[in-house]
Amino acid sequence: MSPKAAEKFFRSESRYRMLVENSCDIVFSLDMDGNIAYVSPAWQKILGHEPSEVIGHNFVEFVNPEDIAGIQTMVAAVIRTNSMQEATYRVNHVDGSWRWHTARVNRHRDDDGVQTIFGTAHDATERLHIEELMTQSEKMAMISGMAAGMAHEINNPLGAILQHAQNIERRVSADIPANVKAAAEVGVSLDLVHAYMQKRGIFDFIGHIRTAGIKASGIISNMLQFSRRSDAGAELVDLSAFLDKVLELAGTDYDMKKKYDFHRIELQRLYADNLPPVLLVVAGMEQVLLNIIKNAAQALTGGELPHQPRITVRTQVAEGMAAIEIEDNGSGMDEKTRQRIFEPFFTTKEIGVGTGLGLSVAYEIITKGHHGLIDVRSKLGRGSCFTIKLPLQGRA
Amino acid sequence: MTNSAITVLLVDDDDMIRECVTAYLEDEGFSVYAYATAEQALESIAAISPVVCISDMRLPGMNGEDFIVKAHTLSPVTRYMLHTGMLYSLSDELRFIGMKDDDVMLKPIHNLSKLVENIKHIAVVGRF
Repeated sequence: MSPKAAEKFFRSESRYRMLVENSCDIVFSLDMDGNIAYVSPAWQKILGHEPSEVIGHNFVEFVNPEDIAGIQTMVAAVIRTNSMQEATYRVNHVDGSWRWHTARVNRHRDDDGVQTIFGTAHDATERLHIEELMTQSEKMAMISGMAAGMAHEINNPLGAILQHAQNIERRVSADIPANVKAAAEVGVSLDLVHAYMQKRGIFDFIGHIRTAGIKASGIISNMLQFSRRSDAGAELVDLSAFLDKVLELAGTDYDMKKKYDFHRIELQRLYADNLPPVLLVVAGMEQVLLNIIKNAAQALTGGELPHQPRITVRTQVAEGMAAIEIEDNGSGMDEKTRQRIFEPFFTTKEIGVGTGLGLSVAYEIITKGHHGLIDVRSKLGRGSCFTIKLPLQGRA
Repeated sequence: MTNSAITVLLVDDDDMIRECVTAYLEDEGFSVYAYATAEQALESIAAISPVVCISDMRLPGMNGEDFIVKAHTLSPVTRYMLHTGMLYSLSDELRFIGMKDDDVMLKPIHNLSKLVENIKHIAVVGRF
């Protein structure tokens, strides 16, 4: 290489180095066994590890075990096709959390035949989270339309069942003159007909039809609420006082007292003191919070917990939203359950215990009624945390 | 006012609902006229001039809201009620002709004695 060419080479080398080192994305190279030879400073900025904790380690040491197979498939494809490949996987942050990364990698072979895997990776956690929320919201919009239509269609036949049952009861009553007249016309005694029906339990059956109908109508009315889109009746509320009231309400709830021993659960209140008033539909928000607290209490009830059962209610202001977190240290849920938790009729409870409508109604009340967000994270055996974010005045 | 003095006009496209509500109201002594569509009811309402008219919201042709607005011009002495399976808040027009939130009854009515109570109430209470 001539001196001029060498100088040019070093200049371009230093330019590339600068690009790599200033890149927001992580630039990395691996040997063919997956050992990390180089990572750009972005790794430390994004994931927090010192370079010495990374260089020389195998890449898969940082990857979530569930995603390693995906990475191996990608590398195999790179080698087989000799072309750029992409994969999305979870990688460990120094704080112990998992971050979603999307990487694009390719293979390079130098003049001596040494092969290297080169790649860039960027943090996709936020984007994937937003995508999940959007899919969720589309799914819910569709289901909510179906629920409204179904509820309406069922109300008429349900009305007919309930009211005809009532008509049957009344048509054997001697209090209605037309009954007495018709009975006389066919030559039977209304009192005897009544006595017979009583003896054979027919009035009980009719009563059961009505009870069942009323129960079904309760479910339908929940479904209609689920599909209701309204922010009517919103008022500015002091969130701390409101949460105190909801917790007090929860303490007086029959189920809470009898089934979930609510008094033995420690309530931790971590309220932010700089919270501006929040626009709430009070009745709706009460319903949402009671539902979440009830679920939390339930998660703290089944089986013996090794620790003091606790529900933590936290508030804070972040990104122009007021956030309410309700966290329990109960049984938690698996990822499949977590993803479906807001769907109507999805329930993990025994048949008859829950309708599976509570959290779907909560979802609608928060997203449609308050233009807010509701989300849940959970770890099986460790507990769950619901987060509700509500827009603050003037920033919605 | 005795029940027999109260004429009720009922509009609902669901045969079973018409049948069971009519049966109940007749047992209670009301005179009941029932129609499956708003259009049929409009043909007769002026002649019947019912004390109370109960209409479904979702009807095959004209809906319950438009029906009541039109029926009111034909029979202004009649008091109107809506019987609906959808959550519904009264339009300004219906409020203007004197309807109140209590005049909207949600389906299914669990106990028809509630309907009778409401009919008797609006039949005797002056609204204007």
